[in-house]
Amino acid sequence: MRPASFEYHRATSLDHALELLHEFGEEGRPIAGGQSLVPMMNFRLARPGHLVDINRLPLGGIEIDGQVLRIGALTRHEAYFNDPLIARHFPAFLDAVHYIGHPTIRRNGSIGGSISHADPTAELPAVAVLHDADIVVRSVQGTRKIKAVEFFLSAYVTAIEPGEMVVALEFPLPPSASTGSFIEQSERSGDFGTASIGITLQFAGGKIGKAAMVCSGADLFPIRAPEIEEFLVGKALADPGAAEAGRIFAASIDPVDDHIASADYRRGLIAELTRRAIEAACTRALDKS
Amino acid sequence: MIDITLEVNGASKTLSVEPRRLLADVLRHEFGMSGVHIGCAHGACGCCTVHLDGTPRLSCLTFAVQCDGASIRTVESLGGSEADHVLQQAFKSEHGLQCGYCTPGFLMTLAPFVEEMVAQKRMPEEGEIREAMSGNICRCTGYQGIVAAVRKAVTVGLDAGAA
Ligand SMILES: Cc1cc2nc3c(=O)[nH]c(=O)nc-3n(C[C@H](O)[C@H](O)[C@H](O)COP(=O)(O)OP(=O)(O)OC[C@H]3O[C@@H](n4cnc5c(N)ncnc54)[C@H](O)[C@@H]3O)c2cc1C
Ligand code: FES
Ligand code: FES
Repeated sequence: MRPASFEYHRATSLDHALELLHEFGEEGRPIAGGQSLVPMMNFRLARPGHLVDINRLPLGGIEIDGQVLRIGALTRHEAYFNDPLIARHFPAFLDAVHYIGHPTIRRNGSIGGSISHADPTAELPAVAVLHDADIVVRSVQGTRKIKAVEFFLSAYVTAIEPGEMVVALEFPLPPSASTGSFIEQSERSGDFGTASIGITLQFAGGKIGKAAMVCSGADLFPIRAPEIEEFLVGKALADPGAAEAGRIFAASIDPVDDHIASADYRRGLIAELTRRAIEAACTRALDKS
Repeated sequence: MIDITLEVNGASKTLSVEPRRLLADVLRHEFGMSGVHIGCAHGACGCCTVHLDGTPRLSCLTFAVQCDGASIRTVESLGGSEADHVLQQAFKSEHGLQCGYCTPGFLMTLAPFVEEMVAQKRMPEEGEIREAMSGNICRCTGYQGIVAAVRKAVTVGLDAGAA
């Protein structure tokens, strides 16, 4: 299959891109890595009238800005592998990146594109939800920040309005006594996951303090697990009750039944991934203590 | 239509293209590079991998208009019609291909990987080789011969470096 026709515009500055997106409204779309948009266009599942190429804009980069780690929208997935800030502060994030596609996809795909595409089991949306990231969105009207938990509305549906684009994500820096993990299961390595679980933990004196958990594959977008986050508080790192947490969480969800897996299989898988992710995070916390 | 200039395997050409045309199609039809194979046209098989300004890129997920001014290498640039690039020779001796449909994509994905390993002076683990080629699908070989070909090409490179 080949795409329907469209007009192509290369943005020469961020303001230029925003003006073009404003002018085209519903018919305009940014193109970043093209690793999701072009397949959709080739299948004619997407038929934008105008593409605004943002690849030459200076929107990449991973840097600390006050209390947050700021990641520019055009940061490519492979950039995280050798980034010391990601390795030091966001172990769950680093785990998650290993599950994204294949080397050629990771070299070209961008974080802005991944979260705007909002595949239900894409890793970076889950990572953003897990870490309570803010998504920084701009239009000719100005800038607004959207909390990750309010950004993903359904499969492939986000809170971005026509004329807007993502310029960065801001991840609050965690305290030093914290760690995390991310585990995913997919049919074939590099495919979108059947399900995944991400965990972050703060710890002190051999016990879990604050915890966060995200799950992809239970719903049409990544969801947090407030019940499990509460369950984990005060648990011993050496015996966090991970299997019980998995059972409790799995009983609370209503996953889809599709050609890849039945709802029952997904529930079982999610219970097991929850157990493994909690145990992996606790092991890292013990190593760090 | 938009005018673009592409440098493909050393030769530059300016042409007028519709924005919707994929780089893969333009390379095949306008530049005659029939080594650019199209397996799926949605990023899943890796057949159409070319080098865009030096790094592998899927030409089915790239619009030719995006590449104005870029330098592109296709499999034809590797070892020519003799296929005498070290990795091509290794594919031949290690049974890294049968029908050959996937082969240009594997070669363009793996040639920089082999170069990098030789530069790092080390033989990659089997897992690393499989990860490097995980975006490419082969329906014939079962991949064993391709892994062996990568090892052989790295060995040849390392021996040449040691000599
Ligand atoms: C074979 C294959 C396997 C893959 N496997 C995985 C996987 O396992 N996990 C995974 O997460 N992803 C996977 N991907 C998708 C890949 O990660 C994409 O790179 C990513 O989803 C989109 O990023 P992009 O930069 O390519 O965006 P594009 O494809 O350019 O754009 C995607 C969408 O986002 C919009 N957009 C892009 N940038 C912005 C912006 N700054 N602001 C607003 N809107 C924007 C576009 O208009 C479009 O709607 C895979 C892709 C392929 C082809
Ligand atoms: S044809 Fe491009 S990846 Fe399959
Ligand atoms: S050799 Fe036939 S598909 Fe790989």
